Amino acid sequence: MRIYEDIRLAQARVAVLQYAVVVACASLFVVFWYLQVLRGHHYRELADNNQVRQVPIQAPRGPMLDHSGAILVENQASFSLLLRPEDCPNLDATIATLSRLLRISESQIRERIARRGAPFQLVVVKANASPQDVASVVARRLELPQLEVNPVPLRSYPLGTAAAHALGRVGEITERQLGSEEYAGVRSGALVGQAGLEASYNRFLMGHEGVRRVIVNSRGVEVREEKRDAAVDGPQLDLTLDAALQQAMEQAFARRAGCGVALDPRTGAVLALVSRPSFDPNDFSTGIEPTRWARLMADPDTPLINRVIQGQYSPGSLFKIIVATAGLEEGIITPETTLHCGGQITLYGNVFHCHRAQGHGAISLRRALAESCNVYFFQVGVKLAIGRIARYAQKLGLGTPTGFDLPHEMSGLIPDPEWKQRVQGKPWYAGETVSVAIGQGQVTVTPLQMACVAACVANGGRLPKPYFVRAIGGVPQPHAAPQSVGLKPETLAAVRDGMWAVVNEHGSGWRAQIAGHDVCGKTGSAQVVSHERLVRSGGANEQLLPHAWFIGFAPRDNPRVAFAFLVEHGAAGGEAAAPVAQAFLQRFFSADDAAPVARAN
Amino acid sequence: MAIDRRLLLNIDWLLLGTSLTLACIGLALIASATRTRQEPPSVQVVANAPDAATAERATAAQARRTPQWVKQAGWMALGCIAFLVVIAIDYRRLADRAPLLYVAAATMLAGLLLFGHSIAGTRRWLTLGSLQLQPSEPAKLIAALVVARAFAESRKDSLDLRDLIGPGVATAVLALLIALEPDLGTAFCLVPMFFAAAFLGGLRPRALVVLALVLVLGAGGLGWAFAKGYQRRRVVSHVAPYINPDGWLGRQLARYVHIEPRASDHRGAGYQSRQSRIAVGSGGFLGRGYGQGGQSQLGYLPARHTDFIFSVLAEETGFVGVSLTLALYLTLFWRMFETARRARDRLGALLVAGLASMLTFQVIYNIAMVAGLVPVKGLPLPLLSYGGSSTLSAFMAIGLILNVRMRRFAN
Repeated sequence: MRIYEDIRLAQARVAVLQYAVVVACASLFVVFWYLQVLRGHHYRELADNNQVRQVPIQAPRGPMLDHSGAILVENQASFSLLLRPEDCPNLDATIATLSRLLRISESQIRERIARRGAPFQLVVVKANASPQDVASVVARRLELPQLEVNPVPLRSYPLGTAAAHALGRVGEITERQLGSEEYAGVRSGALVGQAGLEASYNRFLMGHEGVRRVIVNSRGVEVREEKRDAAVDGPQLDLTLDAALQQAMEQAFARRAGCGVALDPRTGAVLALVSRPSFDPNDFSTGIEPTRWARLMADPDTPLINRVIQGQYSPGSLFKIIVATAGLEEGIITPETTLHCGGQITLYGNVFHCHRAQGHGAISLRRALAESCNVYFFQVGVKLAIGRIARYAQKLGLGTPTGFDLPHEMSGLIPDPEWKQRVQGKPWYAGETVSVAIGQGQVTVTPLQMACVAACVANGGRLPKPYFVRAIGGVPQPHAAPQSVGLKPETLAAVRDGMWAVVNEHGSGWRAQIAGHDVCGKTGSAQVVSHERLVRSGGANEQLLPHAWFIGFAPRDNPRVAFAFLVEHGAAGGEAAAPVAQAFLQRFFSADDAAPVARAN
Repeated sequence: MAIDRRLLLNIDWLLLGTSLTLACIGLALIASATRTRQEPPSVQVVANAPDAATAERATAAQARRTPQWVKQAGWMALGCIAFLVVIAIDYRRLADRAPLLYVAAATMLAGLLLFGHSIAGTRRWLTLGSLQLQPSEPAKLIAALVVARAFAESRKDSLDLRDLIGPGVATAVLALLIALEPDLGTAFCLVPMFFAAAFLGGLRPRALVVLALVLVLGAGGLGWAFAKGYQRRRVVSHVAPYINPDGWLGRQLARYVHIEPRASDHRGAGYQSRQSRIAVGSGGFLGRGYGQGGQSQLGYLPARHTDFIFSVLAEETGFVGVSLTLALYLTLFWRMFETARRARDRLGALLVAGLASMLTFQVIYNIAMVAGLVPVKGLPLPLLSYGGSSTLSAFMAIGLILNVRMRRFAN
């Protein structure tokens, strides 16, 4: 036992601990230097990713106004309820609560979550939520801190189904659109035009989205706003469409399927455009339910198709206008030329029939158009041969889109030997020319193309380029005036005369007559199936009946409107389509008489 | 028991001043960290209130609620009193009472396990009126006292492994009782304390190596055996973050090694560590400003006023604040070990070294945890973190160390 303790060893060993601690602290020093100084920017970015969210501010789409300033498309204030599922600690419970509060099924919410494009995207739980819905979720803010209530401008179409194909509809941007040049800069989930003017003028209508930079806490709740770039509203579109005429045309169709278009032959301004059956674009504004969408897509009556520009129909007897024009221009016939119709004619070893079995006898061009004599035009057509028929058809704008400012316009088809060789690999048979002469065979046209043909005949041989938009944001849009297609005035006069006779001189289109207004027109029937099959069916199946056509213009001198109407499966043009045109023109002229000054502009 | 005035002259003012400075920094950080609350509880209370009058009362009660930094100031005041009490009693007299204190501590810990109320799944707290104390904190100090006395009494020049058995068992019993609460972090603090005391006590180098191996493996194994699923998951996600818990390997681990296959927290096991590292890194050189740390203020940082208080410091005051604070801690540690070196007897040297090692370990582990270097353990940062028991125990530990230092000339 020592009296004094020897603590030298302990003292020496303390130094070891002391230096170990210094080394440890120095290491921590280095670690923090690395984290804070060398990698500071990296972590600052990570922190910002945590805390900063860019919340887009939707720009209200531009409204659309009709010819006289009436609202066709506008925005209404509505509320969307949005959820980011990643922010929900207990998603199942949140979904159950929402389902109860909003009275929508849980599976519906789950479907919406599953449908979104990318994770961390906000899901619209309910669009166009009612004030009660909004109140009930706001009252439960603490239970549902992740739910966002966003005021959203909702696209609204006061006309409902009327003019739906012209105005179009909006919908969430698709994957394909996201990848395309046209929609560069549009974020996923944005609402863009998906049809009609909404689509073709989408770039303008969208305006510029604003953005809010907000700070969110760890529960995803917004704490404050850091920065706000305001949205720029989409500009207003002033249309040439006339809401009153549009309504008149809709009503003229009653419940029949078909389509019609009316334009100003002097300019190409489209006044009304109807395609039926239609759809309600309001249904799409809030995001259409997939089942409903599938039903619309699968509907055999194709309500989403704009028949005026996407329906490619056989022109039938309307084509006689083109053959007459070609014949006159090429000197095959003169306005006075009389040909014989014996009810049928044998050409290239085949018998071709006129619709009047006993024949028209000796018949002039004027009467041949008025009574729609097939045999007359068989003979003209054969003399012209396919090349010249095709050339004049193309001159009058057939076979190519008109350049209308609605999207997805079809071109129709004007067949010629070169086309047949290319597509079918077979030579052209002279007998086919006979069918083409009366608008049968492979010829197809769109109703808009035929309205332009009527306008061209009406205005002295200038083919209009139809358009809907007069001005964007108050700035008038330049539109090319109708361009001359180089037809002789005598030719046009003779065709016009024939079309006048169609309506006003015991012609096939007499039902379109309006006293005091010289309506000119041409009827047509577009075969859906072959004549033989139609006869066999005995006319019992309406789906096999030909489509009824009526195109024309009015009045004969200084025409102010050109039009094309097609009633699907309406059989004879004079019986089914001419009355629709007449009903429309009645309204056109009554409005015109009431306000002659406004119409003149 | 008046304190001799001569003793007061020998107080290490640098050590004391450093400690108080750190405690004040802690106070400021707690104030910043608890300034904004994620979800104002008042709103919650109001929303759940059955009627308007109750809601009003609840709101008023909320308004009267004492801010946490004020509470912490109160704990600091209590700590100062405890500090004065501790320095007043000669450490040698305390060492004489060590067995008694040891029995009291062990009894308390055992009683806590048997009769204590479970709070958040653990039995760590002893409720005394409105105060909640963790008996494990004073138990740590008592363990240091017991170990120091045991090694000091063995008058051999060097210690064998056999000499370790007695104090080792004594320490292990306390560690086990604390680990069972479960509070692995605190239990593990006893290891460096024991190690340091044995080392200074004269443990032979060879025995030292063996002991180190046994301790590391034993502690690792024991820790693993006692760890809960979530704790194991934390460790795995830390040492092998490339193991996908939902993948094949992850599922096998879950099956055979009893790791929780999926984080019960939807954010994943690495969340705390990752968020803390982001807080630290985003502080940069100068920090984001007091009260301006996004990670701290917006609630991304877990336990930001307790275990992760250093993240708040790093985020809001940047590398500059971190360096200053680290320097303060280093000064503190240096002076503590300096005290051990200058102690007048083995008991004093071993006691101070044990306590200093314990505190140092706790500080370095906590800061390393904040930097994301080591797995997350519930271990407060002495002097900086919010918490009554840990504040009291830190002040008492410093008191004991000063106690030894100021009596180095006295007999």
